Amino acid sequence: MSLTGKVALVTGGSRGIGRAISLKLAAGGADVIINYFRRRETAESTAREVEKLGVSAHIIKANVGEPEKIGLMFDEIKAKCGRLDIFINNAASGVARPALELDDKSWDWTMDINARAFLLCVQRAACLMTNGGKIVAISSLGSRLTLPAYTSVGVSKAALEALVRYLAVELAPRGICVNGLAAGGVESESLKLYTRGQEAAAAGAWQTTPAGRMVQGKDVANLVAFLCSDDSEMIRGQIIVIDGGVSLAPIGTAKPS
Amino acid sequence: MSPVEEKVKEIVIKIVRKPELDFTPTTTFKDMNADSLDIVQILVALEDAFDIEIIDEEMKEIANMGEFVAYIERKVAARKAA
Repeated sequence: MSLTGKVALVTGGSRGIGRAISLKLAAGGADVIINYFRRRETAESTAREVEKLGVSAHIIKANVGEPEKIGLMFDEIKAKCGRLDIFINNAASGVARPALELDDKSWDWTMDINARAFLLCVQRAACLMTNGGKIVAISSLGSRLTLPAYTSVGVSKAALEALVRYLAVELAPRGICVNGLAAGGVESESLKLYTRGQEAAAAGAWQTTPAGRMVQGKDVANLVAFLCSDDSEMIRGQIIVIDGGVSLAPIGTAKPS
Repeated sequence: MSPVEEKVKEIVIKIVRKPELDFTPTTTFKDMNADSLDIVQILVALEDAFDIEIIDEEMKEIANMGEFVAYIERKVAARKAA
């Protein structure tokens, strides 16, 4: 897979799954723009790792939940790079509460960052993809399966996935491929947020995948890289599940070797 | 009240949605029923307002609004000095 000469933007690209994606795209030869939320030090650290792979890295602070910040981020990308070839919508947030305890502020925060930001970023990104491009949205199994206290995120991811389908058709004539992926429980800090107090059960559920282990950031990054390559050209508007098969096997039936 | 304190008060009151809040040096986030989302939004707004970076680990040492304002003032002073 060669992404040499491509310019990629990864929102939330400084840590966790986003970091793995940034590094994978860099390893493929892409220059990487790393959007981060608050921790500059973490973003700078990832940028240094990207640069070690022989490509350039640029960090931009922006809360993608704020439309004006999205605008400023793309103004900066346009000024610095002049174009964009790859956009990875990875930044996500959420409030871990049951549905009956969600207030309007929690709902808006989650929807703005996880769903609305994708639309607003694509509107700007598409204008910079003058020679076609690849767009990948990172979703989760919570869009279709239920997890405790995951309501706001799950619903936002369902909206994200619907947007993938609409955008895939609308942007196809411009040579832009739009796809998404729904990851199972990925070993990360974010997962801990939703399994606090029930670590044992969560670990059992997610680790007992038919594949015999949990999904890791590098697994997601590998799939993203494939969706950014020419090899995936005829995949459009799909949400590819990457979960080690756990969603196919009810809890307790998977028997890893 | 310093300009920094005025701004902190304005942002806190707006985000916790308590226009009647008695914002004093001894007021705590708990007093205003601020949840984790409120606090994140307050920190993000202040980082934008003052072009500073607030460190979450340092926030754990903050007991009340007096200490919070002093912390923000130190951050603003450090940025201006840089």
